[in-house]
Amino acid sequence: MKIVVTVKLVPDTNADKRIDPATKRLVRTGVDTVLNPFDEYALEAALQIRDALADGSTVTVFSMAPESGKEVVRKALAMGADDAAMLSDTALEGSDSAATAFAMSRALQSIGFDLILMGTQSTDAITGAVPGMLAEYLGVPGVTYARKLECDGSSISAERETETGYQRVHASLPALVSVTKSINQPRYPSLKGIMGAKKKEIRMLTAAGAEQSKTEVVGMQAPPARAKGRVVTVADGAEGARVIVDFLRERKLV
Amino acid sequence: MKDVVVFIEHHAATPRRVSLELAGKAKEIATRLGGETHAVIAGADSRALAEVVQAYPIDVIHVADDPDADVFAIDPQVDYLTSVATRNEPALILVGNTMLGRDVGSRCAARIGAGYIADVIEIAVTDGRVACVAPRLGGTAMVTCAFPAGVPGVVAVRPNVFTAERQAGAGQIAQLEKPAGRSYAIRIDEDVQQAAGALAVEEASVVVSGGRGLGGPEPFTTILADLADALGGAVGASRAAVDAGWIAHAHQVGQTGKAISPQLYIAVGISGAIQHRVGMRTAGTIVAINKDSGAPIGEFADLLVVGDLFAIVPQLTEQVRRAKAVPA
Ligand SMILES: Cc1cc2nc3c(=O)[nH]c(=O)nc-3n(C[C@H](O)[C@H](O)[C@H](O)COP(=O)(O)OP(=O)(O)OC[C@H]3O[C@@H](n4cnc5c(N)ncnc54)[C@H](O)[C@@H]3O)c2cc1C
Ligand SMILES: Nc1ncnc2c1ncn2[C@@H]1O[C@H](COP(=O)(O)O)[C@@H](O)[C@H]1O
Repeated sequence: MKIVVTVKLVPDTNADKRIDPATKRLVRTGVDTVLNPFDEYALEAALQIRDALADGSTVTVFSMAPESGKEVVRKALAMGADDAAMLSDTALEGSDSAATAFAMSRALQSIGFDLILMGTQSTDAITGAVPGMLAEYLGVPGVTYARKLECDGSSISAERETETGYQRVHASLPALVSVTKSINQPRYPSLKGIMGAKKKEIRMLTAAGAEQSKTEVVGMQAPPARAKGRVVTVADGAEGARVIVDFLRERKLV
Repeated sequence: MKDVVVFIEHHAATPRRVSLELAGKAKEIATRLGGETHAVIAGADSRALAEVVQAYPIDVIHVADDPDADVFAIDPQVDYLTSVATRNEPALILVGNTMLGRDVGSRCAARIGAGYIADVIEIAVTDGRVACVAPRLGGTAMVTCAFPAGVPGVVAVRPNVFTAERQAGAGQIAQLEKPAGRSYAIRIDEDVQQAAGALAVEEASVVVSGGRGLGGPEPFTTILADLADALGGAVGASRAAVDAGWIAHAHQVGQTGKAISPQLYIAVGISGAIQHRVGMRTAGTIVAINKDSGAPIGEFADLLVVGDLFAIVPQLTEQVRRAKAVPA
């Protein structure tokens, strides 16, 4: 079985983010690029399925990102993926979710897959739109928010988180699953993994047909600043409660 | 391209509040564009739900009382929303920026070739063109997005930023037909409700969140839940608390949890790390309780009370209950 894990390269969350006012895009220079944290859970889930099946199944890492992201993709290889493919094409710069999902769907069709594993959302966009759109473009079942996943090589069963609990669902392969971070604890790359990753292949792909972005950024503003408010040190619980209730009254919140 | 379609999410035979919040906004936009408002409801309860929706400004309520919509995940909902979109060629389709809303909205956008904008907190029409404002990059930028001419838009709206106001529209009911021979891929074997009746964090107008300072799972269901209950709100959490297994991930606020905009956010034993802040910085009022006067949350909370949470929270619950009984 061929498992493909999609990984997005995102700016480190602890770094300061800035948008270039001219291009209206994120300034990526000087900011560390990392694997989208959610995608590490998808990769871990893929590795566990591969190792449990132990039938020659493979895990391929896929990322649509500039070639400069190669070393970050190598981290995913160091975690234990078998090989990687990157879709790098200047024609794809500035793609919105729909354009991204469309370009990914073409590339994934050429790579081939039985199961695609993804993160629920990326930390830079937080749109969580690519998994659903990709399932749509590929015409395969799209199981989102999986916190448990089993795969027997021909079908999957999963627990999907819902707002009020969870659903146990099943679907047959080929399928796409996005996972939440409750699903596992991603491993750290071992030294052997890091060394081995240097020899693994990262295949470079160019876009086979692109879709226009269907949204455009027309403006950008800094959010209204939140000023530092009052700080009150209290002697006991009753005083603390009183300070808060008075404040809520002032703001007509109780 | 003048109409506006609202996707109605429901739970336990009740529309989710965010869907009703969308109805009012839909009406406002449709009026500006000179079009009508539509709602789409799928599931066995959809007839009864339509009656509830009739109290809100919707012109046509499309119902699919198809039991498949409750037995199969996502796809039936996408089918019905898409069929209404294809037939009425709306300018805009509104979904809640919720787990289901995101799934259904993004798939519908891909299927009909619409643009998709997530986590929107304001929608305006200027010169006949719809523009949406959404926080991006962890709330460090407010981005205004629009759709190219002739391209419809699917907009996932953050719950709690618009208000649901009763104001009946034409409320005409239209029956949706099940697509012939359609079968669905993701079968729901079991639907487990763990937080029956409880308000989701993104929907509550008051959220009381707990962090590592709570020290264990128990205070979440006792002192914190009591305070949330007294304020008519929901319980939220920091990632530290979720990772420790003290409370389910659905309650997590922040970059890898939910971004919310309640009127009042009370952070209890939460330091205010940047990844937490991005999930709640658009709250109306932020109050923090922390024993450390130097906690980062003091930099952006409207009020930081420095003291022991275990002493303050139960007293606060009591005083809030009293204040509500005897309005000042
Ligand atoms: C990629 C990434 C994504 C992340 N996503 C999220 C996210 O979505 N949401 C999120 O919240 N975090 C997220 N984090 C984690 C974030 O960086 C912080 O680690 C986390 O928010 C800390 O949680 P906390 O405030 O509960 O714990 P701490 O930082 O440990 O703070 C606990 C606070 O409680 C106070 N306290 C302790 N005891 C008492 C007492 N008795 N009375 C009063 N106060 C007390 C302490 O003074 C302290 O300020 C993410 C981190 C990364 C790297
Ligand atoms: N450019 C990309 N390359 C590879 N995977 C991506 C890309 N963009 C999004 N994804 C995947 O889609 C998931 C959701 O991302 P998003 O919809 O951007 O929030 C991520 O966790 C990734 O698994």
